[in-house]
Amino acid sequence: MNSPVPVLLFVVPFLGALVCACLGWAYRPMARIVTLTTLLAGALLSGWSLAQVLDHGAVRCAMGGWRPPLGIEWVLDPVSGLAVFLVCGVLLFTVPNLCIELRKSASSREVSALACVLLLLSGLIGMLVSADLFNVFVHLEVASLSAYALVAAGGRGAPRAALRYLIMGSVGASLYLLGVGFVYAATGTLNMAEAAARMPSVPAPQLVLAGSAFIAIGLAVKMGLFPLHGWMPGAYAKSPAGAASVMAPLVTKVSAVVMLRILFWVFGAAYLRDQRMILELLGWGGALAMVFGSAMAFAQDDFRRLLAYSSVAQMGVVALGLAVANTSGLTGALLHIANDAVMKAALFVAAGALALHYGITRVDDLSRLRGRAPVLNAAIAIAGLSLVGIPPLCGFFGKWWTLSGALEAGRHAWAALLILGSLVSAAYVFRILEKLYFAKEELRSVPENGPRVAAWSCGALALTIVVLGLFSERVVSWAIVPALPAGL
Amino acid sequence: MQNLGDAYGMLAVTAPFAAAVAIAFGPPRWAEVFTYLAAGATLWCSAHLLPAVATGAMPSAKILTLVPGLDLSFRVDALGLTFGLLASALWVVTSVYSSGYVRADRLQHRRRYFGCFAASIGSALGVAYAGNLLTFLLFYELLTLATYPLVLHKESPAAVAAARKYLLYALSGGLALTVATIWTWQVAGTLDFAPGGFLQGKVSGAGLTALFALFAFGCGVKAAVMPLHSWLPSAMVAPSPVSALLHAVAVVKAGVFGFIRVLTFVFGPQSLAESAGPALLLTACIVTIVLGSFVAVRQDNLKRRLAYSTIVHLSYIVMGVALLTPNGLVGSVLHLVNHGLAKITLFFCAGAIYATTHIENVSELRGLAYRMPWTFAAFALASFGLMGVPCMAGFVSKYFLCQGTIEAGEWLSLGVLLSASVFSAAYLVPVLTIGCTKDEPGAAEHPAPHGGGGLRAALTLPLVGTALLVAIFGMFPAAMNAQYDLARQVAARVFGGAS
Repeated sequence: MNSPVPVLLFVVPFLGALVCACLGWAYRPMARIVTLTTLLAGALLSGWSLAQVLDHGAVRCAMGGWRPPLGIEWVLDPVSGLAVFLVCGVLLFTVPNLCIELRKSASSREVSALACVLLLLSGLIGMLVSADLFNVFVHLEVASLSAYALVAAGGRGAPRAALRYLIMGSVGASLYLLGVGFVYAATGTLNMAEAAARMPSVPAPQLVLAGSAFIAIGLAVKMGLFPLHGWMPGAYAKSPAGAASVMAPLVTKVSAVVMLRILFWVFGAAYLRDQRMILELLGWGGALAMVFGSAMAFAQDDFRRLLAYSSVAQMGVVALGLAVANTSGLTGALLHIANDAVMKAALFVAAGALALHYGITRVDDLSRLRGRAPVLNAAIAIAGLSLVGIPPLCGFFGKWWTLSGALEAGRHAWAALLILGSLVSAAYVFRILEKLYFAKEELRSVPENGPRVAAWSCGALALTIVVLGLFSERVVSWAIVPALPAGL
Repeated sequence: MQNLGDAYGMLAVTAPFAAAVAIAFGPPRWAEVFTYLAAGATLWCSAHLLPAVATGAMPSAKILTLVPGLDLSFRVDALGLTFGLLASALWVVTSVYSSGYVRADRLQHRRRYFGCFAASIGSALGVAYAGNLLTFLLFYELLTLATYPLVLHKESPAAVAAARKYLLYALSGGLALTVATIWTWQVAGTLDFAPGGFLQGKVSGAGLTALFALFAFGCGVKAAVMPLHSWLPSAMVAPSPVSALLHAVAVVKAGVFGFIRVLTFVFGPQSLAESAGPALLLTACIVTIVLGSFVAVRQDNLKRRLAYSTIVHLSYIVMGVALLTPNGLVGSVLHLVNHGLAKITLFFCAGAIYATTHIENVSELRGLAYRMPWTFAAFALASFGLMGVPCMAGFVSKYFLCQGTIEAGEWLSLGVLLSASVFSAAYLVPVLTIGCTKDEPGAAEHPAPHGGGGLRAALTLPLVGTALLVAIFGMFPAAMNAQYDLARQVAARVFGGAS
């Protein structure tokens, strides 16, 4: 079906960013209003378009009326529809907290930061809906540049973290571009569907191999896959708290979806299984990430740094799901992408609110909170337990599917590492819970009003975690099964 | 769910959780009221199911689908109802005792205490009434989670350490069970419990042994089979009612119950006949009984001594299942209840002694029997029950366990079972003899038991009640009929279905 919806999804936040910058420059509060309105519009549009796509199949749009071999195509299919909806939906809960933080600090960066957020959103959506390998790179850079800027807006240590992020991110993007070059040399097209169609008859298989390897490694950097995760802890711990809650749940997840899309739609499951190397690397990276990330998270003092390492671990589950390359595994990967986006959003929003409102940034200081902010506490507890994989919270089902996939594929070592990682993740989660609920210290001077917006958004996200878990079968059969690639 | 009658099992599971929510959000003074209401409702629902289940019906209810093909489903059968009735009946008794204990010991955070207690019981009932392995796993994990704050309740360094240890053990077990569940789902394509098992011919050889090992690890942690037992003595830092109901009955029995469920309703006697698993499990149980008894004798702390006694008796039950004979299974199911009654009495006694005099060690009990005669009388009755003295409840279950060993031709197990009665006497009788020894003149006086009459009554009545039940069940076989019928029904289903 031909329709401008895919482009519209991208254009709304993109224009929003421009309007936000212009109006905000004239009158600062307008920036907030424009941002929130744009987000609401984006969320509604993405929800509507997801329902359309699931009912009537993929929607295509050839830019400027030029058909694919010449023009650039945009496609909204069930995968991208789901991911776009996830991105827009999660941002709806995280961005208001960023607004509050920016208003509180009364910095002149408010307008530019909000414009960056909208630009980041447009980049992420662009990555998801473009059906052209090079166009994905362009949007990847748009999203990344906004993310570097957001990180750099933080306090002490932020420029250093941003520089590190920038260097690693640029290397990743360049590797991706190199890979795209090889694919273009092999197939003579940049359109994903065309490239996939020509792939079996390519005369030079080395080119495809080089292309797939470079693309996979480049995107692995972007999704923070162990051992290429070095940029993540700094970027999410040093950036402004609100910015971390905007980026951390989404940026790596979108890269993972793009990885899924290119690996399984362009190269195809059959090629990957034949060739094995990429899936092996992805799987071992994921399995080790689960153990390493969780162990590093346990060793952290800083709350947000802990959460960043926990993201490394959870991306490991996703990578593992991709690597086993069967229906259960990919279901697990997609489900866990959605789950972890919600869990991490709840945790980062809570972390930001605690830092902003109570001045608590270290894990050990969480004990000072005792009894205050019950909603934030409960949200941290629910999201944490979901990270460990306690049924019936949503994290359990992500791991259930991924484990099923690993066992089906006979990858017992990966399954064992995944289980070990879950046990280690219990260590850091219960370290937090112990401090939150069972320590004897008390905060002496307490602010009168708790962080209300954060409490509402955390409460809603925690509720989502429970609902996503209880109704996980609905989510899987409604949104994830149609999104699975063919040829598994 | 076909009709309202089928919903009672679900109601019995939901009531405690509803109470937990109400306690968490309601006014603090109402915490105990909610507990009593939920305890009464749960017992009523479970008791309501008894006549139907005794005639062979299996009320079931499906709530919602969790994974395509797998539901959150409840099904109350004879085995589940035995455990469910035990847990819900003892919850009523423990609630009375708890009310007295929190005042006598001046416990803080009462809402957290009563809320988590209710959630633990709800999880235990969920384990009992689960209709498939996934539902079982879900409540098994929730049970860990709900009891963790109770172990940590005093927030002392010892409590923190014990809680961490508890989590490490219980969560590892839960993860092993998760893997085993997924594996079973893949080889069998179903997870619904079936009498006589559903894994025949689906998995064999090394796969069968590995699967058995995963299940045994998952259930063995909560059932405290050696070498997975060491969390249980540490968890005794929890308040006494918690040790009494949860760490002597609900949590550990969930592990034992898991063994019975998995061995007879998942694997089944047929598919295990060719496996080395049950024999290894039997060996582990024998080692646990012998070693546990020796360690128990050496414990001076009364609650730790009782904890090791629990470890020993849990292995009796597991041993009965591992024999894979009808009488062994009957003995297991009966001992699940009889040990529960006796052990909760003993822990109530230990708690009452601690709450009124702050004495924790056996060696300091000298002469206390004259101050707390009811408590020591109850302790004596319950001890006789555990030793398996004829005319006490424990005798009947031990009798069937012994018959099971003879059926299976496991003479070593028979010897261990018989000698274990002597062991039980060795660690329980000294408590009584020291308690009954008159003070030497000039010895340090005990602090006088404190607390008013109502408080003492709340602490004493429950333990006298459960002790009397131990005696009544032993002396009047008619009282045990319902329980015995349920146990026979389980054995008939499991072994009748197989042969």
